[in-house]
Amino acid sequence: MSSRTTISRITAIGGLSTAVLLAATACGAGGPAVTSGSAASTVNVLVEAGGHAELTGVAEQCKKDTGVSANFVELPYDGMFNRLSSEFSSGNVSFDVAALDSVWLPSFKDAVQPIDELFTDEAKKDIFPALVKEANVDGHFIGMPAWTNAEIILYRKDLFDDAKNKADFKAKYGYDLAAPTTWKQYQDISEFFTKDGMYGTDVKGGVETEWLAHVLQAGSPMVLDANNNVVIDNAAHKEALDFYVSMTKSAPPGAAQVDWAAAQNLFNQGKTAMTRFWAHAYRQIPKDAPVAGKVGAAPMIGGSAGVAGVPGPWYLSVPKATKNSDAAKKFIKCAYDHNDLGIESSLGLASRISAFEKYQDKAGYESFGPLIKTLNGAATATRPATEKWQQIVDTVLVPLLQKAVAGGNSTALLADAKKQIQDLLK
Amino acid sequence: MRISDRRFAVFLMAPAALFLAIFVAYPLFRLVADSFFKISPIAGGPRDFVGLDNYFRAFASEAFMGAGWRTLAYTLVVVTLEFALGLGMALLFTMLGRNSQIWRTVFLYPLMIAPIVAGLLWKFLMIDNFGLIGTLMHQAGLLANPNQIGWLSDPNIVLFSVAIPDIWLTTSFMCLVLFAGLQNIPGDLIEAARLDGARAPAMLFRIVLPLLRPVIAVALVVRGIDAARAFDTILIQTNGGPQSASETMSLLIYRTMIRFGDPGLASAMGTIYLLAMLAVAFFAVSTIWRPGKDN
Repeated sequence: MSSRTTISRITAIGGLSTAVLLAATACGAGGPAVTSGSAASTVNVLVEAGGHAELTGVAEQCKKDTGVSANFVELPYDGMFNRLSSEFSSGNVSFDVAALDSVWLPSFKDAVQPIDELFTDEAKKDIFPALVKEANVDGHFIGMPAWTNAEIILYRKDLFDDAKNKADFKAKYGYDLAAPTTWKQYQDISEFFTKDGMYGTDVKGGVETEWLAHVLQAGSPMVLDANNNVVIDNAAHKEALDFYVSMTKSAPPGAAQVDWAAAQNLFNQGKTAMTRFWAHAYRQIPKDAPVAGKVGAAPMIGGSAGVAGVPGPWYLSVPKATKNSDAAKKFIKCAYDHNDLGIESSLGLASRISAFEKYQDKAGYESFGPLIKTLNGAATATRPATEKWQQIVDTVLVPLLQKAVAGGNSTALLADAKKQIQDLLK
Repeated sequence: MRISDRRFAVFLMAPAALFLAIFVAYPLFRLVADSFFKISPIAGGPRDFVGLDNYFRAFASEAFMGAGWRTLAYTLVVVTLEFALGLGMALLFTMLGRNSQIWRTVFLYPLMIAPIVAGLLWKFLMIDNFGLIGTLMHQAGLLANPNQIGWLSDPNIVLFSVAIPDIWLTTSFMCLVLFAGLQNIPGDLIEAARLDGARAPAMLFRIVLPLLRPVIAVALVVRGIDAARAFDTILIQTNGGPQSASETMSLLIYRTMIRFGDPGLASAMGTIYLLAMLAVAFFAVSTIWRPGKDN
């Protein structure tokens, strides 16, 4: 073999290797974070899309009251966690205040500052108890609830009020057709409306929160007990899972991939007669949707442990790495003081009990009564405070639900899930 | 001033070498180094040396092994179909000669679409309850009801469903590369074969494909690596679900690093993945291309 051949072979292989290396390493994310270098009277606020609308009124008021102006950095929900995670891991953050989903608090507890001074006795009385408990991680308050949410029942008032439906329903089930107050009624009504290309309700196999609300209603803590023992294989979890799966016969096909967006779309398009959904969706039904003006709201239904939901609050937190802590805390104080300003935004939520109560009797805010009732429910509880929660959800709970709605054995699936979660928590 | 050839060569190579050192060698070194540590996802947190523990954890993980097999299956499906379709189109364009100019341009159109957009487009076409494909197949009498096939919700077929946008996007790339290769096959060779009475299959398998071998090798290796890195189209369509049935290696590594906050384990997975890709590339080069051996 000539030296020329050898060189050309080495060059070819070397070039190819370089191409492989370049290709394989080209999946880095984003550019470097920008260090917070803005003036002390301006705070950069990292928010999810709905949060921007929610905090715009607060920002205007805050500028008037304290001179602190807010510069919003808005991201879609899916990108928020990844952005936060990347910036916290680099130690160089581009924001002074971040709106954190409650699920993320345990993961980021070491990256944000305590804000205990903002949690006065008066403030704690005006925030739902489950939220006060959740905001306190390892003995310090690390996030101020900015807005909160819970699942309630949304139903098609026009179909429920229809005389023929009423008569047919009574003839078949022996009681009047009305917004359900028991899960048996919910099942009956779902079955009744599953006809002619329409379905009674949806089953969301792509998200876990709804099944967990059923677990709370059945009287068990969600997945982990107070001592972090895995209790996912207990009777309450099985009962909740069996009930959840039983609804698939009255739900649209493809339950395994139905998530919040898909369920909301199905309801707004008039494909489902009822949905268990976050309360804010009531005010977000598009004016040109087939169901606009035809929707009623009812509180989440209770189980043997009473009414229960999993709250979905967002917290405002201050990263340890910011150089603008004072202004950031002033902004959070403003957000608490003027919490009701968010209610008239497109998201239309608040976190203070007094703010919800101020609006609950006004027209257009019919979802607030059921929301307050659900949030005050005896068994309402927040998700377990473990930094592995997101991983448990993504790798165990959602696949478990997807296997269950596809016909898997619930006892075996829960036993398997227990083992997987124990391995993750080791 | 006279400089030696050797020094001149060094000067020419220096910018590229510097670039590669900063943007390839250093990140690679960090990737491999991080794979031996258990690292806190928050800056300033602990960083403990754990030896090969991350590698043991990766190989013991069902998710990692599953993602490995899925990535292999996905790559084989995507590259095989793209190669078959791309070669067919390239032969057709060669036969049409100048008349194929407009068709070639039209055929390249998907290549110019961002993968995220293509992923969204196909998601809306295949999604349960609202997808156009199910409705059209139902109207054509092929399906009993529009939701009979759960394109994106049935774990048995979802890997093939999420591969469709990738095939749609890059078959034209394969076609372009093979078409360029076909232009370099001497016409007199084909003519001589034809005069000797060779039929189309013989010409394809005994003349065209052997002469195209280096081009095929490059096309397969480049597309193979690209397909094995599949990320954006899958993320947008299913986010790896249902039941992780469409979770490929890139998605798993990304989730392990960013979502589950385990940079050490993600680095170990990345290192294993990189070594596997290098092995496949060397194998492809030595068996298909065989540089130097034909001389």
